[in-house]
Amino acid sequence: MDDKTVIADIKSIGDFWAFLKSELKPRGNIATPFNIISLPIMLLGYVFIVYRLAVGLGRPVTNLNQEYPWGLWIGFDVVTGVAFAGGAYVLCFIVYILRTEKYHAIIRATVLNGFLAYLFYAGAIVLDIGRWWNIYNPMIGNDFGVNAVMFLVAWHFFLYMLAELVEFSPAIAEWVGLRRLRKILGAMTLGAVIFGITLSTLHQSGLGALMMMAKSKIHPLWYTEFIPILYFVSSIFAGLSMVIFEGSISHKVFGHQLDEAHHKHYDDILVGLARICAVTMFGYLFLKVLLIVHEHAVQYINTTMGFWWLFEVIGFVLIPCLMFISGAQQKNTATIKFAAILTMLGIILNRLNYTFIVYNWYVPLSEKYWPAPMELVITASIILSEIWVFRWMVNRMPVLKEPPAWAVEKEH
Amino acid sequence: MEELFTYYDIFATKGVEYLIIIVFLVIVLVFWKFVNMRPY
Amino acid sequence: MDRRTFLKIIGTGVAGATTGNLLRPERASASLGLSGREFYGILVDTTRCIGCRRCEKACAEVNGLPVPDISESKNESVLKKMRKTSDTEYTVINSYKTEKGTIFVPKRCMHCNQPGCAAACLVKAMKKRQTGQVTWDSNCIGCRLCMISCPFDIPKFEYGKAMPRIQKCNLCYDRYNKGELPGCVEVCPTQALVFGSRRQTLEEGKRRIAANPNKYIKHIYGEYEVGGTSHLYLSSVPFEQIGFRKDLGTRPYPEYSTGFLYAVPFIFVLWPIAMLGINRATKGNGKGKEEHHG
Repeated sequence: MDDKTVIADIKSIGDFWAFLKSELKPRGNIATPFNIISLPIMLLGYVFIVYRLAVGLGRPVTNLNQEYPWGLWIGFDVVTGVAFAGGAYVLCFIVYILRTEKYHAIIRATVLNGFLAYLFYAGAIVLDIGRWWNIYNPMIGNDFGVNAVMFLVAWHFFLYMLAELVEFSPAIAEWVGLRRLRKILGAMTLGAVIFGITLSTLHQSGLGALMMMAKSKIHPLWYTEFIPILYFVSSIFAGLSMVIFEGSISHKVFGHQLDEAHHKHYDDILVGLARICAVTMFGYLFLKVLLIVHEHAVQYINTTMGFWWLFEVIGFVLIPCLMFISGAQQKNTATIKFAAILTMLGIILNRLNYTFIVYNWYVPLSEKYWPAPMELVITASIILSEIWVFRWMVNRMPVLKEPPAWAVEKEH
Repeated sequence: MEELFTYYDIFATKGVEYLIIIVFLVIVLVFWKFVNMRPY
Repeated sequence: MDRRTFLKIIGTGVAGATTGNLLRPERASASLGLSGREFYGILVDTTRCIGCRRCEKACAEVNGLPVPDISESKNESVLKKMRKTSDTEYTVINSYKTEKGTIFVPKRCMHCNQPGCAAACLVKAMKKRQTGQVTWDSNCIGCRLCMISCPFDIPKFEYGKAMPRIQKCNLCYDRYNKGELPGCVEVCPTQALVFGSRRQTLEEGKRRIAANPNKYIKHIYGEYEVGGTSHLYLSSVPFEQIGFRKDLGTRPYPEYSTGFLYAVPFIFVLWPIAMLGINRATKGNGKGKEEHHG
């Protein structure tokens, strides 16, 4: 590798600070097109965030209103973002529980992405809730609203971040060169994985369960008592599609960290992921059909909203499902990547549908919600900031590149 | 005369249930280590 | 939500005495002396409402909200539009043209027996009090899930403020604790609004319907809707004609989320067990005893 790997030899706090300072120096070209475009957006977003904290959530900060209490930040940053981060728990299940070694190569990057996603989307939550200074209330018992789905979701976000941090921490220990710590953290991996998968099952479905009491406001083609199951199942292929998408970009950008064998092996991974997505989406499609029959909603297919439902399900679930099958059979990674993008667009559409499109679908156009410019900028700023942190970590820690020789793992 | 109206809290037991879950997770950790112990 | 089990305690002497008290606000304190904790609420008789909006004005004064102009001319123009409650208006009057003429309907929080907003609240800022009022408290984090969970779309949020609150009618909970009537009930000139225990208001509603079968629709809105509410409505026309939804069902709203919440402990127990089992069963499937990441 031609990467400058800083060898950490830390024996004291002083050593650690010196190491950290050297790691904070930028690697490579600063004035890349990506940096030039993203940095102003990020800075503008930070300014807007301060403004939002000062003046509240009303116009011009957001377009939220009494009919639409949740908009882009909750619907996209949090709910869709969490679905996309689902690749972490699915891959952890495959690698650590089912012990399918094929995907071991990408597990660290996926877990890191999952951790950063939850970290930044927790930030988005803090921004969205109107009384953000009270955010620790559900944690400290002011009060424990055990009756609430949201209570469960809030706690799960917090605990899941910890579990992901533990799962990823061996890489941090390797970066800093602390061998004993690395051993201890390695032993905690299985427990963190099992805890993480359990938590994920519940909060992925929990995000759907948040909408259960909106029965009178969500269009019957989308409302069902099984929304939590739909959210959970779709989080599987949402997460894996994000793994395919993000992995493809990472492999281009950080390709110099990987050897030739790895690149070849990656195509096998893509085919495998495509197969898993296809199977899951196939089941999901039947669930969708089953549920509109169960909810006596088939009669609504022949309406405008029915067309919108077909658009989402056929265009962004059935079609990418078929593309995944085709791409896997012919080992065509371009098809697979395109299917992943379509799937992700479908997930965005599905989650935003529940948040403000088919939610209160009967509200007149003049009162409808669409994101305000500041909402979009702040969202972009959060996502770009996450990418910057991801890049910083991948360039310095053994995420895509090989861990140090001393960090050999026994079978877990 | 009106029939008796009884209100009850459908979430009354959730607090205790969450505590039981936490206890369970701790115990299962110990249990797993025990199950994996080599007989010496 | 509180954890007590409520039983309606009905003394034979009480029923007769309190019915009289319901109609005379100045004697209201007697109705608060009933034994046991019952839910209190308001019977809204839309056949008696004259659309004077004195209730709106009293509510604003009592709660420190902007006091509306309720002169005749102002009322005429205001009542031309359909209004919803807002972050500065806990109750609003709407006017409906029906087959029985113009009907005025006061709209405000229904104070459900099993409120969706309280079930949704992760910090119990929205609470159903032991005496029936559904109130908001300042430990709220502003997540606005209560707004999504209310079938009547009542909670309103102060979006434009740096320190926003959720705003809605609280059935004058503070006044109740001081032995006073809700502000709106106290000033209603026609006793379209009548305050009492839910049992009392339900009884009074049924009495009025029985006494005037041609005047009222044989239905009290809120008796069974969404599991029952503390605001009960009487009408002379079908309720859909005066802005009430008939498709909300009789199932209490919190029960829509219990399916999921009841499954949680089972997943928490079964998932770890299953995964430990599979992990144990697949032992030896790895590449070998030692492996690298990457």
